[in-house]
Amino acid sequence: MDYLIHLLILFAIYAILSLSLNLVMGYTGLLSVTHAAFFGIGAYATGILMAHAGFGFFTSLIIGIVLSGILSFIIGAILSRLSGDYFVLGTIGLNYLVLAVFTNWYDLTRGPLGIAGIPKPSLFGVSFFQNNYFLILSLAFLVITFFISRFIVNSSFGRALKAIREDQKTLQVFGYNIFSYKLAIFTISGALAAIGGSLFASYITFINPASFDVMQSVFILAIVVLGGLGNLKGSLLGALILVAFPEFLRFIGFPSEIAAQTRQAIYGLLLVVLMLYRPQGLIGKYKL
Amino acid sequence: MDIIPQIIVNSLIAGSIYSLVTLGFNLVYGATRFVNMVPGVLAAIGGYTVYYLFNQLGSNLYLSIIAGILIAGIFGYLSDHLVFRKLRRNKASNLVSFVASLGIFTMLQAVISILFTSQFQSILDVTQSPTTYEIFGATFTWIQGLIFITAIVAFIGLALVLKKTGFGKAVRAVSDDEEVSKIIGINTDKIISWIFFIGSCLAGLSGIFIGFDTGIRPTMGLVIVLEGATASIIGGIGNIYGGFLGAFLLGFVENFGILKISGEWKPAISFGLLVLFLLFKPEGIMNKKK
Repeated sequence: MDYLIHLLILFAIYAILSLSLNLVMGYTGLLSVTHAAFFGIGAYATGILMAHAGFGFFTSLIIGIVLSGILSFIIGAILSRLSGDYFVLGTIGLNYLVLAVFTNWYDLTRGPLGIAGIPKPSLFGVSFFQNNYFLILSLAFLVITFFISRFIVNSSFGRALKAIREDQKTLQVFGYNIFSYKLAIFTISGALAAIGGSLFASYITFINPASFDVMQSVFILAIVVLGGLGNLKGSLLGALILVAFPEFLRFIGFPSEIAAQTRQAIYGLLLVVLMLYRPQGLIGKYKL
Repeated sequence: MDIIPQIIVNSLIAGSIYSLVTLGFNLVYGATRFVNMVPGVLAAIGGYTVYYLFNQLGSNLYLSIIAGILIAGIFGYLSDHLVFRKLRRNKASNLVSFVASLGIFTMLQAVISILFTSQFQSILDVTQSPTTYEIFGATFTWIQGLIFITAIVAFIGLALVLKKTGFGKAVRAVSDDEEVSKIIGINTDKIISWIFFIGSCLAGLSGIFIGFDTGIRPTMGLVIVLEGATASIIGGIGNIYGGFLGAFLLGFVENFGILKISGEWKPAISFGLLVLFLLFKPEGIMNKKK
């Protein structure tokens, strides 16, 4: 039972990440390989503020969201001017750069040692120390993220994003400022990813740079692509499958180091197979 | 300043290694028009092949190097044969091809980790002190000299092949326009396969050299492909002459950059340079403005 709760918490965290990435990738058509950077900014904000500065979870969560939003705004301002291949390369480079900051800004992040002893959240005196409470908290944030995302994609703003994805030039002719639309969704997506980061830091109680590298971004991307681009339910489905499936490997007796690598090999292969036979993913509404 | 000649030598060696990846990257990009992550992992495959044959089995060093280059080339060829060729038939977008290349990259990197662990490995026996040479007060090892010479030879060789041979003409035709090349009777799939093979051999070679110079680890590929792509964009993406120039420029900027800030921030320097070029000169040094 504890194990199931653990998996469901991980599912909630990855679903938050994939929902927020789907806004950029599936709805706006911008292929981004940098989501782990915003995930990490949220995690580090919570980790540092809670473990080293004695802040509460919810304060540090909000600071993390704002910080990640500001950074993704600045970064988006640069990247939104790029398109296609160049945008992709820019995002990979960016993830790499943020990772370098996590690893090398020792005074703040304690470098490769990471930040340990991050407390669990508490609200009105109720501690979420027990995992079943933490699960409720995580699912609550997942539901909030889902409804925020749904509100965005169903709004007129969201329709404009989909139109940008389908035909950027036409929209420009109609006088839409493509750049600010892309920038806005990139910022929102980065801010939402920070929620996943905060939950992750507080749940695992330890973070180090290795959790936020480019391969993590590829994993989140694989969730979005598998579930389906441009479909929020697809992101939930993708997260469920990709979080649950590797556990199967552990059951059939793979040692944990090998299991982690095998998981990576499998979702790598999965990306190739999807691109060959089903580029829109399981229930996707858009092909890259 | 005494340190300047040494930094120039270091820049030239870094530039040489980048230039090999960049040559391959540009060759493949020119023909296929998508950002391909696979060369990064092929560099790791090249490095690990030499590590396995030379360090673990004790084979001859030069035979191991040749095997490493060829195996990287074969994997590159297979990536085209099994995946990218089909995607071209499907008229897949460049982003779909990119994601597929990311998948291959992720998968092979994980397989290398399973086979050889994620530990950092050194290819040359570290206890054996390498012969060093001196020039204007800067020292370099024989392997670094070999790296520099190989890079120059590879560049000139490739430039000659592209300029003088029928195969080179076909490559240029495919890079200009794949559809038209097909219509005038060029077997474009065959030419692209060869391009993949050659580009991948170059990537494998760069991985081997990195192994000699510093060492190898399964995750080494990402930096290599980023540096290669950065050098390509600086020089003008798809342009092999520009890429060669871009590789050395990147080598110099990074090595002079870490004079001022510490070495850990090297990725920041190359990424900064990449962003500057993407924003202000996306066509690069050698390509004409679109």
